Amino acid sequence: MISFKESMKRYQTNLKPSWQWIIGGIALVVAIVIAFTGSGDQTQTLFSICLFAVLAYAWNIISGMTGYISFGQIGFFGIGAYVAAICQLQLNSDWYVAALAGGLVALLIAIPLGVIMLRLQGIYFALGMLGLARIGQLIASSSALVGGSQGESVPVVGTPQATSLVMIFVVVAALALTWWLLHARLGLCLMAIRDDEMATQASGINTTFYKVTAFCISSFLAGLAGGLYTWNIGFIDPGSAFNSTFELQTILMVLIGGIGTLWGPLLGAIIVSIIGQALWAQFPQQQQIILGALTLIAVVWMPGGIVSLLNKRGWLRRTPVWATSRREDIPDMPDLSRPTDIPEVPGVSRPAESRGANILEVPDLSWHLADLSAPGSAKSEAPGSATSEAQQTRATVLKCNGLTRRFGGLSALSNCAIQVEAGQIVAVIGPNGAGKTTLFNLITGFDRPSEGDISFLEHSITGHAPYRIAREGVARTFQTSRPFPSLTAWETLLLAAIAKNPSRSKATAQASSMLNKLHLSEQWNNSPEHLPPGQRRLLEIGRALMLQPRVLLLDEAMAGMAPDEIALVHALLKEVVSRGCSVVAIEHVLPAITPIAQHIYVLDFGVTIAEGAAQEVLGNPIVVDAYLGTGEKESINA
Amino acid sequence: MQIYLILALTGLLWGGVYLLMATGLNLIYGVMKVVNLAHGDFIIVGGLLAFSLFTTFQISPWIALPIAAALLFGVGMLVHRLVLAQIDMAGSQGELRTLLATFGLSYIVSNTALLIWGGQYESIPFLQDALKIGPLSFPKSLVVCSGAAFVLALAVQLWLTRTASGRLVRATAQSELGAASCGLNIQRVRLFTFALGSAMAGGAGVLVVLLIPMQATTGSLFGVQAFILIVLGGLGNFVGAILAAVILGLVEVSTGYFFGANAASGVIYLIFILILMFRPQGLLGQRGRI
Repeated sequence: MISFKESMKRYQTNLKPSWQWIIGGIALVVAIVIAFTGSGDQTQTLFSICLFAVLAYAWNIISGMTGYISFGQIGFFGIGAYVAAICQLQLNSDWYVAALAGGLVALLIAIPLGVIMLRLQGIYFALGMLGLARIGQLIASSSALVGGSQGESVPVVGTPQATSLVMIFVVVAALALTWWLLHARLGLCLMAIRDDEMATQASGINTTFYKVTAFCISSFLAGLAGGLYTWNIGFIDPGSAFNSTFELQTILMVLIGGIGTLWGPLLGAIIVSIIGQALWAQFPQQQQIILGALTLIAVVWMPGGIVSLLNKRGWLRRTPVWATSRREDIPDMPDLSRPTDIPEVPGVSRPAESRGANILEVPDLSWHLADLSAPGSAKSEAPGSATSEAQQTRATVLKCNGLTRRFGGLSALSNCAIQVEAGQIVAVIGPNGAGKTTLFNLITGFDRPSEGDISFLEHSITGHAPYRIAREGVARTFQTSRPFPSLTAWETLLLAAIAKNPSRSKATAQASSMLNKLHLSEQWNNSPEHLPPGQRRLLEIGRALMLQPRVLLLDEAMAGMAPDEIALVHALLKEVVSRGCSVVAIEHVLPAITPIAQHIYVLDFGVTIAEGAAQEVLGNPIVVDAYLGTGEKESINA
Repeated sequence: MQIYLILALTGLLWGGVYLLMATGLNLIYGVMKVVNLAHGDFIIVGGLLAFSLFTTFQISPWIALPIAAALLFGVGMLVHRLVLAQIDMAGSQGELRTLLATFGLSYIVSNTALLIWGGQYESIPFLQDALKIGPLSFPKSLVVCSGAAFVLALAVQLWLTRTASGRLVRATAQSELGAASCGLNIQRVRLFTFALGSAMAGGAGVLVVLLIPMQATTGSLFGVQAFILIVLGGLGNFVGAILAAVILGLVEVSTGYFFGANAASGVIYLIFILILMFRPQGLLGQRGRI
């Protein structure tokens, strides 16, 4: 765990980025001077470095930031090159019109391709893209439009000086675009998708939309580069427009420079080109082998490339998105995070101090029951009668009818019916493999029911995409926590906040307030992976709460939590319920949930074997048999 | 009518050639969940090694076959030790990192091959005479290659399902954690699997070079073709791979006959993309994470 002091140190290095812009500015001036004064060879080298830098940024956006490794982005370069050539040859367009048209056509083609291809993951997407690039090359070779497989010259050819100057500005634009992405809503969503797509959907983010957007931006840049390449070379042929060596070199550059970073692609393009030239003079034969070895070293021993080496010294670290809008002084409702902070409820004893107590022992939670059973009233009625009365008056929020899910011959869930009312806390218990998590997956849209219907606020949500369900108001946590390793705690909460709020100020205010409420303010700049397990789960509950849900589904959220953390969760739930939100909790640790649950469903082998108020259900001999084995009755009721 | 028979048989035989190139990759993926992008380059190394042995020492490809397999076995062990074993597969980026690592490896192997053998296309004039079956005749090399492929695929399937050592490998494939907790040294199983898969690539190269001229940098094409085949069959499924080989061979040979060579090399990628869209688990694969 990183101490507060260290995290402050990080915070400072994070907000001191000015020197990188100074060095970048000097490099820009040097490049422009070379473009104006250099010889033909030098400016051509400059053009090639800039071309690779643009391709590297293009690849970095889809593969580095979004995590979809593509071996076929060169296909969009080829499309751009061909469209530019056609514009020049057929329409007599000027070079910049042709290049822009190249970029735009690449973007337009990327939309349908992205929708289809981005459903694939990992190696499938990578090689599927390779296949598409090959098909593009074959089409270019066999069509007679622009010279077929022999190629053809284009009329407008730029001088190396002019082309390299233009290319320098495209690099600057690509850099600025990447900088903006790393500090904006879009980039935050992309990085979350790279870390964990499922958890991003659960945070209410339409992952398909953001992935396709990233793919289109990447394709536009590659297509633009292709158009400018045609202008520079003055010739077009399938072999060089869909040159797979360009693809290889581009990927090498990003990996060596630092994948997913702001400066990595540029550093990689410059360093690999310079090393390549130097090696070419010394070892013309071994040059490529050495570059391959560098890639291998980068991937295996230095996954972040050169930039990660600088990061270790505190340089070039990514600044968390919208970090400057984070506030620690958000006016908030009374702090509920620690048992001692909870306002006194008349007639109810305060909880016993639980710190350092036996882990297995759960703090006395009877004080919750008073207002949980009937929000707004603090009368200490008997819990049983309060719920049964309330059940008649409250509106049904979530209703599942005859839910069945079969995996092959196995029914993970059969004919399950669940009903949740506003402001109710419902527990779903049952042994391992009873179908509890399947039930949650069906409700939240991560899985589709074989039969049955789910309605939320009287509308059917069966078959809706997970992000829609999350936004509509059914939020969930996962059984094994799913943190975003490369985001900070702050960004984790912000992600869910922006799914719900179009306005930046509202989203940041809510995320700040939740961070304070969870007592994670000191950890705001840490990766959730570095948090202790209890806090990580708290953060995940916070992420779900950022969606302002009407129903909160907790999948063993309190497993492995310390007693005081459980108390904190209970306090949070209490607040949530008082606002009319319902909670459905899967729990294995019965004492962690039964004291606050008003209704309990018991599942076993996919079938609901019992339901009702806590006391009735836990006393039911069928439940005791199925769930706890025989002879354990005393201990559960304790 | 006879032309269809010839197309069908030729397709079947060429399917066998693809299967030969894919079996090692399939084994490695099935056990390790690693797609070795350098697989095609290993095939090329095997083929070009046999070519050198044949032209400089007049060593028959039959003898070159075990030599190439043994050499690639060693290369595979080395690669696993130095590269793959260093990558934490359990981490969130494990699979992608192995992909990028073998991508770099492919670059190294193909350029080393380029350094050693130069850039010309090479083939071995061996078993070139025709084998007559009734009125039809096929090159002997094609028949041998194809026969070897089906025998190898069946042998691997039998080894995995019928022997004790195969069971160790299957256990590792199904659950590394479970296998490890039963006292298996899974790192050794992975090492052996990767080396064996690489050896299969080397051996395949020796046979394929009799049929297809090879050049140092064309390995990635073989690798991608092999990958498409095992995706079509269902990753890690050997029976599915045989079926996929037959389908791919028939489709490619008949497309080539009716529409020309360009269409034939494009149709493979088209099939690949259609499979990914409509049946990503492959013909006989289990629907899993993709």
